[in-house]
Amino acid sequence: MTLLNTLAPWQWVLFAAVPVAIVALYFLKLRRQPLIVPSTYLWRRTVEDLHVNALWQRLRRSLLLALQLLLIALAMAACLRPGWRGQELPGDRFIFLVDTSASMSATDVQPTRLDAAKQRLLALVDQMQSGDAALLVSFSDEARVEQSFTDNRSLLRQKINRMRPTQHRSDLQEALRVAAGLANPGRISEDVGDIQVAGALPATLYLFTDGGFESVPDFALGNLTPIYVPLGTPQPDNVGIMAFSVERNPEKQGRIEAFARLENTGTADVTGELTLSIDGELADASQLRIAAQGEAGVQFELGSLQQGVLQISWQRPDHLALDNVAYAVAGVPRRARVLLVTAGNEALVSAATTAEAQATAEVTVQGTEYLATQEYRDAAAAAAWDFVIYDRCVPPAMPEANTWFVGQVPPLTGWSRGPTEPLPFIIDTDRAHPLTQLVDMGSVRHIYDGFVIKGPAGAASLFESASGPLLVIASRGGFEDAALGFEIVGKSADGKLIPKTDWPARSSFPLFVMNVLGYLGGLQGSVAVVGGQPGIPAALQSRAPAEHLDIRLPSGKVSRVFRKNQNAFVFADTDELGVYEVSEGSAAEVTQRFAVNLLDRRESNLAPRAAIELGFETVTGQVAAAVSRRELWKPLLLLALGVLLFEWYVFNRRIFG
Amino acid sequence: MTTSSPAPLLSPQMLEQLERLELVSRKIFRGRLQGERRSRRKGQSVEFADFRNYVPGDDVRFIDWNLYARLDRLFLKVFLEEEDLHFFVAIDASASMDFGTPTKLQFAKQLAAALGFIGLCRTDRVKLETLGESVRRPGPVLRGRRDLWRMLEYLAAITPNHNVPFAESLREFCLRNRGQGVLVLISDLMDKQGFEQGLRFLLTQPFDVYVVQVLSREEMAPDLRGDLKLVDSEDADFTEITASQPLLQRYQRNLAAFLQSAKDYCTHRGMTYLMSASDASVEQMVTGYLRTRGLVR
Repeated sequence: MTLLNTLAPWQWVLFAAVPVAIVALYFLKLRRQPLIVPSTYLWRRTVEDLHVNALWQRLRRSLLLALQLLLIALAMAACLRPGWRGQELPGDRFIFLVDTSASMSATDVQPTRLDAAKQRLLALVDQMQSGDAALLVSFSDEARVEQSFTDNRSLLRQKINRMRPTQHRSDLQEALRVAAGLANPGRISEDVGDIQVAGALPATLYLFTDGGFESVPDFALGNLTPIYVPLGTPQPDNVGIMAFSVERNPEKQGRIEAFARLENTGTADVTGELTLSIDGELADASQLRIAAQGEAGVQFELGSLQQGVLQISWQRPDHLALDNVAYAVAGVPRRARVLLVTAGNEALVSAATTAEAQATAEVTVQGTEYLATQEYRDAAAAAAWDFVIYDRCVPPAMPEANTWFVGQVPPLTGWSRGPTEPLPFIIDTDRAHPLTQLVDMGSVRHIYDGFVIKGPAGAASLFESASGPLLVIASRGGFEDAALGFEIVGKSADGKLIPKTDWPARSSFPLFVMNVLGYLGGLQGSVAVVGGQPGIPAALQSRAPAEHLDIRLPSGKVSRVFRKNQNAFVFADTDELGVYEVSEGSAAEVTQRFAVNLLDRRESNLAPRAAIELGFETVTGQVAAAVSRRELWKPLLLLALGVLLFEWYVFNRRIFG
Repeated sequence: MTTSSPAPLLSPQMLEQLERLELVSRKIFRGRLQGERRSRRKGQSVEFADFRNYVPGDDVRFIDWNLYARLDRLFLKVFLEEEDLHFFVAIDASASMDFGTPTKLQFAKQLAAALGFIGLCRTDRVKLETLGESVRRPGPVLRGRRDLWRMLEYLAAITPNHNVPFAESLREFCLRNRGQGVLVLISDLMDKQGFEQGLRFLLTQPFDVYVVQVLSREEMAPDLRGDLKLVDSEDADFTEITASQPLLQRYQRNLAAFLQSAKDYCTHRGMTYLMSASDASVEQMVTGYLRTRGLVR
């Protein structure tokens, strides 16, 4: 406790004279006005009645004196400004950025890191001086202004208490842009140079986070003074599922395997059990020992799995529960609907209608004249097919489906074909792409003629010849179009159908057709879909034409999305981790499921970063705020006011008592 | 403090009204001169009262010879005696009487003048006294209408500064004015030692006592506010009060108790007690209250 004198010596002398004057007044009784009355006989008797308990009267009089002296003493004490060292916020404008990402739900700080952040924030708000303004922004992978600049502290407290944790990843970029927008106003360029368009408002940027985000290199702090308040204990205990996939076993036909990779971000070796359940029933379990800062992979043999929801969970409780579970939706609910339009291509038709192909796709073969019918136009517009193959023909308009053009390019701007060249030779194949996976074109000896395809921006070349791409794939809205730069079967000069390549005779051809049916038919290659991350919108398609989809969230809430364009629905409320069930239109039947998983290394790594990089600056975590004085004069004055009121009460009791 | 009003003590209308009245005493007093009243004493007058047996020594002039002739016994005729009345008015002229509008002293003077005039008209012996002045400046003895002006002069000369203790002044009064008669004491009875001691002196004399207590409005309903130091007009004693409603209510209770005690004291001792405000009408007092109480008729 220290004192801070606010009065000059002569002022103190004046002040000290006040209690002396009060005491003097009590003795001199200067207050009473003399009044001559006929006789004080009755008055004396009246007052004597009052003075029956004279001792109390005297006490009461001295009580008044004591109260007045106490009042003065309190006022004097207030003038001394007693105070002690406390914390104060530097500056008068504050921006509070609060991380609400998944890792902030960690319980290494009780009850959670976000709650701890709220406590610290509330303490900061308590220390705000009157007139200080603060902006409250919560961020995960998106920033949200919880409260715009205000000096209303109760409003800030209310908004702070209202913040809820999310299950999203963290991304500081957007939150920083919000903060910087106010502190560093934009500039416009004129001939004479840059002109600032608004006055800069320097602010102190408080960052409440565990640092689980990418550093932000291309950001200039400008007028912002950053203070990083790291949250969480330095040695958290957490094991998170980093990856989960369900694949066919390429070696064993019909067998399905689930792979999971777990990472221990803690500082101690842990042993625990990972369980796999299908549709809620335990299917398999595996005991794991994961070294500190190490990782472990698990493989589950599933046999033949048709359909179901797979869930793996790490059974050992740790500080973050969100990353201990991952989901996958398995099973092919139905076969892809494929239309093959050809003027005769026995090789392609037979490859597309093998028993294996029939298991994944239902292929309808039509002649090129079918393209001119109304039935085709209606079906193409209504997305009756998942995938259309145009063999040496071009549709009048692109269908609402994936397409593969053989010997043609899609009739779209961006696509163009080079001149026909004799004997092109494929020198490179993209083996990573699902279309050309395991496809060995080296065995194809003859391609009689072909043309180089130039795809639109973003197109990928899968077959590369000496003169250019021969197989190109590019996306179109929610669909993908592929084009092959040579014919498999073509017409000779006399109009007869002749093979134009020996590819159909090679084993790579049926494999390629299977890839095409699987990938462009919408069957992605894997048996199960692990799903996206929270906060990332899911693009959905309805199986049958429908105006809306009803999506049941993992929490049980039902959300309805309406059709955006032809057959695409965008569902943005993927905030929760778990499996979402989709039913179409008014039907109650669940036609699709998709999962949302965290699977994020940064969120699972709970150790708070010692420093974060903002632009060129490295901000080190700061635990204690700047030291300042906590003052006592306000409570003292309030107490003095209370004493004054009490004195008034006693005085009135004396008069009316 | 209010200066004494220059208004005449008696108006012509009032004089006219008072001429018709006379003072009455409930007791039988022997005056020094024959007055114009029928006394309860039997005596020499033309008004026959009764017969009684003759006893030796009686005045033979009053023997009823006709009865002696008829009955052969001596009877004496007894007549009602007409005698004068000794009428005293004692005025308290202490400083406390100089309050009120009009002042209590003014009221006392008016009342004294009115009663004195009645007495003068009936040729009663009227004596006015200022309390505390009985020895140093005794009041005049008045009789007959012609003394009216002397009476009024005396009254007008009374000033409110005779601060003698009430008991002391009444003792002096009784020593100076021995004898029978009607005494009207006009005072506010406000004395620190209490009025009882003073009134006790009156009991020692065969007076028919009327006590008229006069209080000013400011005493009956004080309108005070704030912190005050009340200074006694007589002995400069002071009392500090903080005027408040409860205090004033308490004062009222005390005042009522004080008046009641004065009334009880007088009633129990055969005195007639009357209380009046200083701004009350003297005419009404005389023709109304005092008439019902039997002082005048």
